[in-house]
Amino acid sequence: MLSERVQIRNLKKMRELIEKIEKTLVQNKEINASKIQNLMITLLKTHIKGLHVENYIGDYPTFIEPVYLGDNVKLGDDVLLGPNVYVGNNSKIGDYVQLTNTVILDNVTLGNNITLENCIVAKGSSLSLTNLQEKNCILMGSADSLEDLKKISF
Amino acid sequence: MSDKEEDDIPRFSELDSNKLIKGKERELAIQIEEDIMKQNDTLAEQIKQEFKKYNIKSIDIVGAIGAGKTAIMEKLVEKLSPKYRILVICGDVTTRVDASRIEKHNAETIQINTGRECALNAYHINQIIKNKDLNNYDLIFIENVGNLICPSDFILGTDKRVTVVSITEGEWVIEKHPMLFKMSDIAVINKMDLADILETNVDKMVHDAKKINPSIEVITTSAKTGENIDKLIESFGLN
Repeated sequence: MLSERVQIRNLKKMRELIEKIEKTLVQNKEINASKIQNLMITLLKTHIKGLHVENYIGDYPTFIEPVYLGDNVKLGDDVLLGPNVYVGNNSKIGDYVQLTNTVILDNVTLGNNITLENCIVAKGSSLSLTNLQEKNCILMGSADSLEDLKKISF
Repeated sequence: MSDKEEDDIPRFSELDSNKLIKGKERELAIQIEEDIMKQNDTLAEQIKQEFKKYNIKSIDIVGAIGAGKTAIMEKLVEKLSPKYRILVICGDVTTRVDASRIEKHNAETIQINTGRECALNAYHINQIIKNKDLNNYDLIFIENVGNLICPSDFILGTDKRVTVVSITEGEWVIEKHPMLFKMSDIAVINKMDLADILETNVDKMVHDAKKINPSIEVITTSAKTGENIDKLIESFGLN
């Protein structure tokens, strides 16, 4: 196991990187997709380690480490997270959702049966959709249907 | 594997018994269950080919809760880690207790929490190996969820499957759980250090395993004292 000091330093770096991603990923601002993709890969490959999943609310999901869950994350039934997943504070994940190599920032809502691979969902986004499968993209904004979905591919 | 092929293989969780379903839906439930098993076998075959391509030896360890799977893994890793680059994948319903125990003996570990599923399946393993550079490993151990029933439904594509029981489970444990022994290459009877105190009929256990599967190799061990751990390593074709 990593020493406590290394873990604390790693968490600090992880938060700095998240802040950087959040600043780069703002609505109505030109989005540099490849820059965000690089930041996301660095975050997932370098700073997410082991299982940080102690404080979620919901049924026992499937985790394939590494997975990091922020505070007050709500998980639906039969969820699969990992490997390489970050979920920010207060985000809500619907039933049958599967996330791999994916970053969900704070205050995001994901509907049921959504499968994301190599994706990042911007802070505060609400994807109240069901049966959505996406790969290699940034998702943002509020969407109740596929037509409303704001998607930038890597 | 192409993206198309991957899309054809959805994830699956344990189905409820189709015997609870009556009428028309029963046919559908049977069909779905058959499809799931077929998909698991397809994925397991792909995993086998991947391991072969990278010249990786792979062992799947199954057994009851508390039989000593993790204790045996600790001993194995302690002995093998100076010679081989090892990855250990640990399955449990929740926690990373096993991965933390094993990584102290110098092996990289990955914990899978299966939540409501009672065994690892080929999808879990495939998710890991497609996100890892397999050039970095010589040997992969998979320690399944503690359970003598469910893992028999899901092969994982490993070279060998080892089923671990212990003499504390009683001398009937093997004859009562034949499926796993039928599909295993090696049966380990652990906690032999307690044999004198418990007076379990170990000969009966060995006989039962051989009767269920005449080609199974039976090894009596003690993870505590290290008894026959070398013999187990030899049975993997390692030294």
